[in-house]
Amino acid sequence: MQRLIAFIEYNFHIILFVILQTICGFLVFSLNPYQQAIFSKASLGVTSTINKLSSDVYSYLNLKSQNTLLQNQISKQFKESFPQSLHYLNDTFSIVDTSMHHLFDAIPAHVVFNTAHKVNNVFIINKGLDHGIKKNMGVISSQGIAGVVLSSNQNYSAVMSLLNTNMKITPHINGQEYFTEMIWDNSKFNCLTINGVNKLEQINLGDVVSTGNSSLLFPKGIPIGHISKINDTPKSQYFELKLETATNFRNLEYVFVIINNEYLGLNDLLLND
Amino acid sequence: MINQIIYWVLVIGFQVLVLNHLDLSSYIYPQVFVTLLLTLPLHLKKTYQLLIGFGLGLVMDLFIYSPGIHMSACLWFVVIRMLILNRQDLKEHANNKLEYSIRTAGFTPFIYTTLILIIFYHFYILWIEGIGNINIEYITKTGLSSSLLSLTIIGVFQALKLNKYP
Repeated sequence: MQRLIAFIEYNFHIILFVILQTICGFLVFSLNPYQQAIFSKASLGVTSTINKLSSDVYSYLNLKSQNTLLQNQISKQFKESFPQSLHYLNDTFSIVDTSMHHLFDAIPAHVVFNTAHKVNNVFIINKGLDHGIKKNMGVISSQGIAGVVLSSNQNYSAVMSLLNTNMKITPHINGQEYFTEMIWDNSKFNCLTINGVNKLEQINLGDVVSTGNSSLLFPKGIPIGHISKINDTPKSQYFELKLETATNFRNLEYVFVIINNEYLGLNDLLLND
Repeated sequence: MINQIIYWVLVIGFQVLVLNHLDLSSYIYPQVFVTLLLTLPLHLKKTYQLLIGFGLGLVMDLFIYSPGIHMSACLWFVVIRMLILNRQDLKEHANNKLEYSIRTAGFTPFIYTTLILIIFYHFYILWIEGIGNINIEYITKTGLSSSLLSLTIIGVFQALKLNKYP
């Protein structure tokens, strides 16, 4: 112990230098906007490259089965959801509304990094600004909603997962939209909670929860999950609904980024109102 | 002591009020205030030197709103100064509590130390400001021209001090 104290005393100026330089580094990269942007870009680039490498190996091992599964699921889901509107354009296909105006485009992307065990989960996809992906675009998997794009660099984008406490989507159950909270409370994996649904409503186990008309990020009818539990608290006039997500976030590999071609115009209209 | 404080205030004021607003060229960006760190007393403990460097960098960062950049550069400046001064025989002057100057170190060692530290300081600042998008030509031109101007001004300071205390 005395040796340790003597060592610290003898090298105190070196320890102090390291501490002060760490503070400087923190200040430089957190308070100077340019250096902050460079650091974010570099860290995202490095981590994405490493994650992509490990993901490549994993994908290679599962390539055949994943591809078959993916193709079947994409084909089935989109044909069921949008029977007259699926147009294949190279690797991008579009969903058109009844006036044949292209409202949504879907860009396929590969998940190179994913977390599902944290309070605020984020995953990274291998498409970025160069592919037309920007902040606040919806992301879906072949099973349902996956998240919303948080930020992008040239080739990669960070996506806020549905399993994130900051994620807010309005649920649509049995043909009715509920302007209430649907939250990830981190209590159970792949499980969201919906509060504020009145007990007078007809809600049954297994009811599908999907996106409605109130979102500009996702087309109507994309599944979010299904009701797995209905908590009927006697003192409350509202149900507490537990929802099992349609997307399995532990096994998320391929997703589609939804581009709303009229997002800016529609958003401006909403803001003006 | 009061003279020393006045000297520090004048040098910092000269840097902040005059040199930082100098509009001679986009390649000239002199940092003369580091002369205060260069000429710190030789008997000063290493820990104090680091803290003074950190504080002086903080003051400069506050004036030009570049959080951490001058602080980091000043810390490296102090550390490199320690390493260089360890190679020079200055024990007697340190015992007499003298500051580092041409008079105490001698002309050649002082010029050698100043040259290394000033050039390092300017290039470090330019590097950290342009990190991630380094323009070698710009940094070289700006670093060298700013260092040259800083060295000239520091030389004038030293000459004035020599005349005052021959």
